[in-house]
Amino acid sequence: MTADKFKLSLLPIASTVFGIFILMLIVFFSASLPIIQKEGLAIYTTNVWKAVEEGEEFYGVLSAIYGSIYTSVAAILIALPLSIGFAVFVMDYAPKKLKELLIIATDMMAGLPTILYGIWGAFVLVPILRDYIMKPLYEHLSFIPFFSYPPITGYSYLSAGVLLAIMVTPFASAIIREAYRMIPKAYREGAYALGLTRYEATKTLLGYIKPAIMAGILLAFGRAIGETVAVSLVVGNTFNIHPSLFAPGYTISSLIANQFGNAFIYEYMPSTLFASGLALFLIGLVVNITGLLVLRRWRYAR
Amino acid sequence: MLVRKIKEKLFLAAISIATFLTILPLFHILFSVFANGLPVLMRGGIDFVTETLAPPDSELGGIGPAIVGSFVLTFLASLIGLPIAVLTGVYAAEYPNSPIGKAVKTLLLIMMEFPTILVGLFVMNILVLPMGRYSAISGAFALAIVMMPYVAVYTEQALKEIPFVYREGAFALGLKRAVVVFKIMMSMARKGMITGILIGIAKVAGETAPLLFTAGGSARIYFAGLDQPIGAIPLLIYTLVQQPYENYHQIAWGASLVLMLIFLAIFLPLRLSIKEVKL
Amino acid sequence: MNAIETINLRIWYGNNEVIRGINLAIPENVCFAIMGPSGCGKSTLLRAFNRLLELNEIARVEGDVKLFGRSVYGMDSVEVRRQIGMVFQIPNPFPHLSIYDNVALGVRYNRLVESKRELDKIVEWALKKAALWDEVKDRLKDRASELSGGQMQRLCIARALAMRPKVLLMDEPTANLDPISTRKIEELIYELKKELTIVIVTHSPAQAARVSDYVAFLYLGKLVEVGKTEDVFENPKEKLTEEYLTGRMG
Repeated sequence: MTADKFKLSLLPIASTVFGIFILMLIVFFSASLPIIQKEGLAIYTTNVWKAVEEGEEFYGVLSAIYGSIYTSVAAILIALPLSIGFAVFVMDYAPKKLKELLIIATDMMAGLPTILYGIWGAFVLVPILRDYIMKPLYEHLSFIPFFSYPPITGYSYLSAGVLLAIMVTPFASAIIREAYRMIPKAYREGAYALGLTRYEATKTLLGYIKPAIMAGILLAFGRAIGETVAVSLVVGNTFNIHPSLFAPGYTISSLIANQFGNAFIYEYMPSTLFASGLALFLIGLVVNITGLLVLRRWRYAR
Repeated sequence: MLVRKIKEKLFLAAISIATFLTILPLFHILFSVFANGLPVLMRGGIDFVTETLAPPDSELGGIGPAIVGSFVLTFLASLIGLPIAVLTGVYAAEYPNSPIGKAVKTLLLIMMEFPTILVGLFVMNILVLPMGRYSAISGAFALAIVMMPYVAVYTEQALKEIPFVYREGAFALGLKRAVVVFKIMMSMARKGMITGILIGIAKVAGETAPLLFTAGGSARIYFAGLDQPIGAIPLLIYTLVQQPYENYHQIAWGASLVLMLIFLAIFLPLRLSIKEVKL
Repeated sequence: MNAIETINLRIWYGNNEVIRGINLAIPENVCFAIMGPSGCGKSTLLRAFNRLLELNEIARVEGDVKLFGRSVYGMDSVEVRRQIGMVFQIPNPFPHLSIYDNVALGVRYNRLVESKRELDKIVEWALKKAALWDEVKDRLKDRASELSGGQMQRLCIARALAMRPKVLLMDEPTANLDPISTRKIEELIYELKKELTIVIVTHSPAQAARVSDYVAFLYLGKLVEVGKTEDVFENPKEKLTEEYLTGRMG
C-alpha cells in the first residue's frame, strides 16, 4: 500500500535524530571511561585539579558541579517571582498594545545570541553589581556567609546567577503565560463572581496552574545549567566551593569551555571534561524530561 | 475592606516592578551594545567589516573573516540540517501516533533544550579528532544539530494546523500520499515552515558554544576550505572579551553591534509578521 | 448493475460501532440521498465508499463495498478514488492554487491528459458543467481563496468532475452555504444526475425531497427505510421514518 511505502522512505531520515542522540550518549560514555576507570566516582565528588604533564594527574570536578547548581538555583530563585509577575501583568493588566510589545520584547530576549548577554555581563553588569550591591553588602554584612567573600573583580556566583536569571525569565514566563491563558473562563468568572479582588482572584488562579509554574521553573533550570558562554564570562572560572555569593567559581559548562583549549596536552584531562559533560548531560536530561512530563500530564488531565 | 484594597495596590506595584525588571535588561543591553559599538564602527568605517584583525594593543583592523565565516557556517549548517529537519517534521506530523512518531516529537523537544556546549563536544569527538584539526565542516555540523529540532518542530506544527478537509479533498482526488504531503500540504504550510527555518537560522547564527571546539576560529584568513578552521562572529567576540587588550575589547563591542544588527534584521520582520514564537 | 452496493457493512471508530450492518444498493445515474439526524453515521458511510475512511487511524471496516460489481477493497485505493469524486461539507479548494490549477490538479497528477490544450479543454468543460465558467472565465489565474463560499463549492464540484468520475459523493454540500448558492447547486445536481450517479448526504429532509430520486433513512447506524423518494416521503413504512420526516425527531 502506498502509505507504507511513504512511511518507510521517511523512516530512515526521521530516525537520524534518534541516531544522533544515541551516538551522543555513546560518545560521552565512552570518552568518560578513561578517567572513571582511573578514579572511579571520585571524579565527581572531590575538588582538585592537578594537571601535570606526566605522572600523577588527578581531577575532581565537584567545584564545577557545585557552581552549576548554585548559580542555577540562584537564577531560578530570582526568575520565579519575576516570571510570574510578568506573566500576570501581561495577561491581566496590560493594555493590548503594551501587551504585544512586551511579548515581542521577551521573545527577543529569549532568542538573543547569548554572547551578547556575555559581553554585556562581563563589561557592564559585573561592575554595577560589584560596586552597588556586592561592595556595600560585604562592608556591612560580611558576617552572613552569603556575603562573606571580598568582591574584588565582581566575577562571582552572584553575577552568574543574576545574568542567568535575566536570560531564563522570558522563557519561564512564556510557559506560565501560556498556562494562564488556557485557564477555562468558567474558573475566572467564578472567582470574580465570588467578589474577590483582582489580587485574590489571581492568587487563586495561579494556584490552579501550579504544575505549569513548576514545569516552567524546571525547564528554566535546565536552560540555566546548560548555558555556557554568558556564564563563563562572568563567573570567574576558579576552582572554589564557597558558600558566598560573591566568590568566583566554576560551572560545568564554563569548565569545559575554559579548559578544553589546553586539555590535549594532558593525558586524562579530555576524558575528565567529557565526564563532566556527561554529568551535565544527565542532569539536563533528568530536569528537562521531568519538566516536560509535568507539563504534559497537567495538560491532559484538565 | 481597606486592607484588601491596599493589598490590591501593592500587588499591582509588585508585578509592575517585576515586569519592568524583566524587560529592563533588554533595553540596557541594546543600549550598551549601541553605545559601545557604534563609535568603534564609526572609527573603523567600512574597513571594520572587510579587514582582518589587528595585532594586540594597536588599532582596530576588522572582523571580515568572522563575518564571512558566520555566513559560510550558517549556510552549510542549513544545507546539512534543513532537509533532515523538515522531513523529520513531516514524519512527526503524518504519523503522530506511531511509536516512532511519538518518540520523535518528545526527542525533538528534549534536544531543543540540550546544552549546546555538549553538541560541540560531541562533534569534536567524532569529526575534529579524527580529522586532526578544527574545520568549517565540523562547525557546520554542530550548528546543524542545534538547528534541527527547531525547524522540525515548527514544520510539524505548521502541517498539523492545516484543516483536515484539505487533506481529505486531496486524497479524494486520487492523489498519492507523497503528492498530498509534499505538493499540497507543504505549500499550504509554507508560512509556518519558513518561520521555523528562519528562526533556526537566526538561532545558529548567534551560537557560540557549538563552535568552540569545532570551527576553531580564524581572525586573519577568510576561507581556507571546508576542512580548515573558520571564524564566526560570536566566537570572535568570545575570544576577544577574554583578552586583556583594550583595542580587542573595542573590537568585541563593534562585532557585538554587527551581530546584534544581523539578529534584529532576521528576528524583527519575522516576529512582527507572526503571532507567537516558540524559542 | 448497481453503481454502489454495500454488503453487511459495519464500521467502528475504536470501540464504537458507528455503522451496524448496512446492505444498500445504489442504482446508476440517479440522485440517491442518505438522510438522518446528526451523528448517525451518514458521513462515515459515505467515506467508506471511496475508502477515505482509511485516513482515520481508528476506523475499522467489516463487510464489503462494491463499485459497479467490483469490490473496492480489491482495487488500489488510488484507483477507487479516481473513479469516485467527492465534495465536502466545508468547501475546500486549495487556497494557494489558482482556480485553473484547482480544477486541473487531479487530472494532472493522475496523468489523464497528454497536452496542455487537452487540459484547458477539460478545465473549461468541468467549470461549465459546474455552472461556474461564466463567472470565472476571465480570471482563471486568480487564487481560489478569492471566491465566495458558493463559488468555492462549485469549484470543488468542477474539480471532482474534471476527473470524469462515474459516481459523485456529496457530504452535506450546501450545509454552509446561503440559500441562493444552495439552490444553484441543487439545480446542478438535477442536471448532473443524468450522466452520473450522485450520492448526497443531507440532514435536511426537505433537500432530500427536492433533489433525490431515491432516499435512504439512516438512524443510529442502521438503515431504517430505503426506496423511491416519493414513496418514502408520502407513505413512510416505518414509524421512525415518519417521526423524522414530520420533525418530531431532531
